[in-house]
Amino acid sequence: MRVGPLLFRLSINIIFLLGDRPVRVAFSTFRGYFERLLEAVTIFLMVTLALLVLVAVLYRLSGHSLDWYDEVAAIQLAWLTYYGGALAALKRAHIGVPGLVNAMAPAVRVPVVLLAEAIVISFFALMGWLGVEVLQILEGDTLVSLPSVPTAFTQSVIPIGAALFIIAQILTMPEMLDEARKGKAHSATEGIEP
Amino acid sequence: MIIALMFLGLFALVMINVPIAIALAVATTVAMVVTQGPDILPNVALVMMDGATKFPLIAIPLFILAGAIMNTGGLSRRLIAFASALFGFVRGGLAMINIGTSMFFAEISGSAVADVAALGSILIPAMKKKGYPAPFAAAVTSSSATLAVIIPPSIPMILYAVMAQTSVVQLFVAGIVPGIIGGLGMMAMSYWFARRYNYPVEETFQIRRVVETFKDAGLAFTLPFIILGGIFGGFVTATEGAALAVLASLVISAVYREMSLPHLKEAIIEGGVHTAVVMLLVASSVLVGVYLTEAQVPQKLASGIMAITDNRYFTLAILNVFFLIVGFFLHSAAAIILVVPIVMPIVHAVGIDPVHFGLIVTLNLGIGQQTPPVASVLVTACSVAKADVWDVSKVNVYFIAVLFAVLMLVTYVPIVPMGLVDFFYR
Repeated sequence: MRVGPLLFRLSINIIFLLGDRPVRVAFSTFRGYFERLLEAVTIFLMVTLALLVLVAVLYRLSGHSLDWYDEVAAIQLAWLTYYGGALAALKRAHIGVPGLVNAMAPAVRVPVVLLAEAIVISFFALMGWLGVEVLQILEGDTLVSLPSVPTAFTQSVIPIGAALFIIAQILTMPEMLDEARKGKAHSATEGIEP
Repeated sequence: MIIALMFLGLFALVMINVPIAIALAVATTVAMVVTQGPDILPNVALVMMDGATKFPLIAIPLFILAGAIMNTGGLSRRLIAFASALFGFVRGGLAMINIGTSMFFAEISGSAVADVAALGSILIPAMKKKGYPAPFAAAVTSSSATLAVIIPPSIPMILYAVMAQTSVVQLFVAGIVPGIIGGLGMMAMSYWFARRYNYPVEETFQIRRVVETFKDAGLAFTLPFIILGGIFGGFVTATEGAALAVLASLVISAVYREMSLPHLKEAIIEGGVHTAVVMLLVASSVLVGVYLTEAQVPQKLASGIMAITDNRYFTLAILNVFFLIVGFFLHSAAAIILVVPIVMPIVHAVGIDPVHFGLIVTLNLGIGQQTPPVASVLVTACSVAKADVWDVSKVNVYFIAVLFAVLMLVTYVPIVPMGLVDFFYR
């Protein structure tokens, strides 16, 4: 079965199941735990990244530069990108342009929102599969500055991040469809900008 | 043909509200598979990882974190008290205080939205209470917040430096004079409004009060010296300066004893989310960049423009109009990430200094933060002021005119941004 129709049926099933109170409670409890997990990982990565750079400055000023600092800090940033990216998906904070979808009639808007959801989930499903392939290709490789750390460990963020992104997307899909039915396509277009 | 279809597909995906970062990656992946076959697919995953491991961009989460700590640490309130003692005697004093504090805050924070959130939540209600119309309060707060991306440090400048492969420190230095001119211009505009609509004076000028508030906010004034002094003095890199900003703001907040841990936690999470949103865009844009460079698109575009004109000033006019239009519809981060790598060959071909061009791009997108439909800074200010975006825009257009005048000055009088850069670095 193709991914698009599968997702359509999945989302309809989720919405149908959510009419049942115990299922709805379990769904929102899981979402709460999932959000707290992603928040904890994001806080950990932000704080340790700041600490790592500070420690590296102290080492450099004392004349003993950490030769692994650049590589490890850059990998931490990539981890923050994908773990934080899943959290951003849960908060629907990725930048989008909802204007046209908002202007559509509800009968058109709901299938369009579903299509957009299906495209995002399909892309991350592909990324997850490719991420696993890449892990196999990189087997045996290690970081340049830290030979004891396998590259597969650092690259694992791609399949794991992709899976987390898909879960975040599915968890928020009923809310998105509900909003679409009521008259708007959700996006944080106006909220996120450095 | 494939490139045209790729951009058409990208446009269609964006129009149905697929997040821009994912739309970019999807359109490029499809184009890559069509032109190079499915064997190219593992490269997509590798490039999406490599694209996110950009070491110089580590400064972004760190500056966001520093700003978050300062917001929750009682720093904003002290800065406002000092600015009040300094500018409060002028007619329309609260507007002056707003702009003056924004200019100072800009030396610590690199984000205009952070500036609005930190200062607007205190100053907009205060202005409304004193009888300033809500649209004016929101317009002053919104437009002066844009100074945060012009006066160093600046997150859009860090992004530009990475995308254009130029010096972030020189960009920071180039932003100083235009930022100060912009701030003074906005103060003059506020004074004109204050005289015309008879806005109130805050307090009489008392040197004793200036000294008292300066002492109270004294530690906050060490921050720009630590951050900018360290970076400009060559003691630390921009990334290290950002980490020092985190440390210094933590120490200062601890001394002030006003830090709220739940707020700090929220701010760190928000900072992490902001970083991830920008970095996912960066990773996708690297994928697009790899594909377009292989197809030599930027080079072809550059030679197309060169066929029309090789005049530097005319090219700058074209690029200014282009970036102003882009700023209406895209966030500054997305615009820099998407457009800068494509236009850089043109910039190099006509001999424009990439640092000079960086300031032009930053100012254009700073104006874009004030112009709907996509105007995050303006919308944040409107939401704090509970004012209508269009009512605020009617006032804000005067302050946008000030930013536009600075843009023209920066574009056609290169010594304004480049004077300090030439003096210190060339």
